[in-house]
Amino acid sequence: MSDYTTEPTRCEAMQEDLTELALGTLSGRSRSEVLDHVESCSRCQSELEWLSIVADTVLQLAPEAEPPVGFESRLAERLRGSSDVRRLKHRRRASVLTAAALLAAVLGFGLGTLVTARSTDNVSQTKTANLISTSLNSQGHVLGEVFVSAGNPAWMFMTIDSGTPSGVVWCEVTLTGGRVETIGQFNLSGGYAAWGAPLKSPAGQVRTARLIAANGTVLASAILPA
Amino acid sequence: MNRRWSRGEDDISDELLLSGMAVGDDRAGLVFVRRYQRRLFGLALGIVGDTGLAEDVAQEAFMRIFRHAPVFDARRGSVATWTLTITRNLAIDALRVRRAVPTDPQDRVFQELMSNRRQPDDAALTSDAVGRAKAALAGLPIEQRRAVVLAAMYGRTAAEIAAEEAIPLGTAKSRIRLGMAKLREAVVIAEAL
Ligand SMILES: [Zn+2]
Repeated sequence: MSDYTTEPTRCEAMQEDLTELALGTLSGRSRSEVLDHVESCSRCQSELEWLSIVADTVLQLAPEAEPPVGFESRLAERLRGSSDVRRLKHRRRASVLTAAALLAAVLGFGLGTLVTARSTDNVSQTKTANLISTSLNSQGHVLGEVFVSAGNPAWMFMTIDSGTPSGVVWCEVTLTGGRVETIGQFNLSGGYAAWGAPLKSPAGQVRTARLIAANGTVLASAILPA
Repeated sequence: MNRRWSRGEDDISDELLLSGMAVGDDRAGLVFVRRYQRRLFGLALGIVGDTGLAEDVAQEAFMRIFRHAPVFDARRGSVATWTLTITRNLAIDALRVRRAVPTDPQDRVFQELMSNRRQPDDAALTSDAVGRAKAALAGLPIEQRRAVVLAAMYGRTAAEIAAEEAIPLGTAKSRIRLGMAKLREAVVIAEAL
């Protein structure tokens, strides 16, 4: 810990303000002074990162509490109020439904499922039965995982953990019948990415997913179960 | 190695749920709300000390989470941290806007947080870093623990803590720094394991 990039006294004098900056409770001139210093001092920058992790961790210590009855349905109403105009036309009809039915409508569950959702394993399986996962492979190595959800809308998600180069990659899927669709592009940084996007075709038609590099090379592929 | 998903919803990662929410999958949203509502509401209640206001805060937090799900970046921190930070900031804002009087630090939630007794289900909920931070917090001298909790959780500035505890500003600042430095050691050890 003796690796000061500026004079030690300045860094030491900075510690209290640095701690309060990480806690989000520093303001005004002190705040801009510390930020200026951190920009030019790698030691304090790394210290600030650690202290921010600590501050975040303290938040995770807050005790849990059960929200009041009806929390989920009131949230569903608010989410509905803020959703796009596409849904507005359904609102009047929905407003005569009970709060629970409204939640079911908004969050996409049948009322029966909603009521029993917490109780049995069986129910949580039906909920997730149309989410399929499979490994993403490259020359026999597993690079990550691909998930395809048959929900409405259908979407896919992938995680890539290792082995691939950095840079922009394209994701394309092959559909039943052989048609190829480009789903989107994203950035691999240090061989790592977590990315998701809606599908253009029904999830059940997706047979393979492939990652393509900028030069056209197939970096990895996944075969979805039929 | 194909497999159809037959595990419970608890095995679906937060990142995967956010990805579903980002494209408007309502089932993913419901699973996410069920997973986080007790934590978000608990944190909000701890800060604002009023059930109705805490519900408003927790709901607004979920609204923002839904809205920002498409831009969540897993490299910059965990989903839990992100959601709790959003909730904390909203709770502190709500307090500042709606009431001049801050939460009485004598209240039940604050006391629970301040206690050095471990909860039986901690291990199930928390990563190593969280468990160690909790133990380290419990091990701090009471005045440092108060200062850290008031700043980290309730967003109190050093000046506000000095006024509430009737201590000089310098004392408040050093309590915050010393307490956080000890938690930092505990968290660094956990990250290195
Ligand atoms: Zn420095």
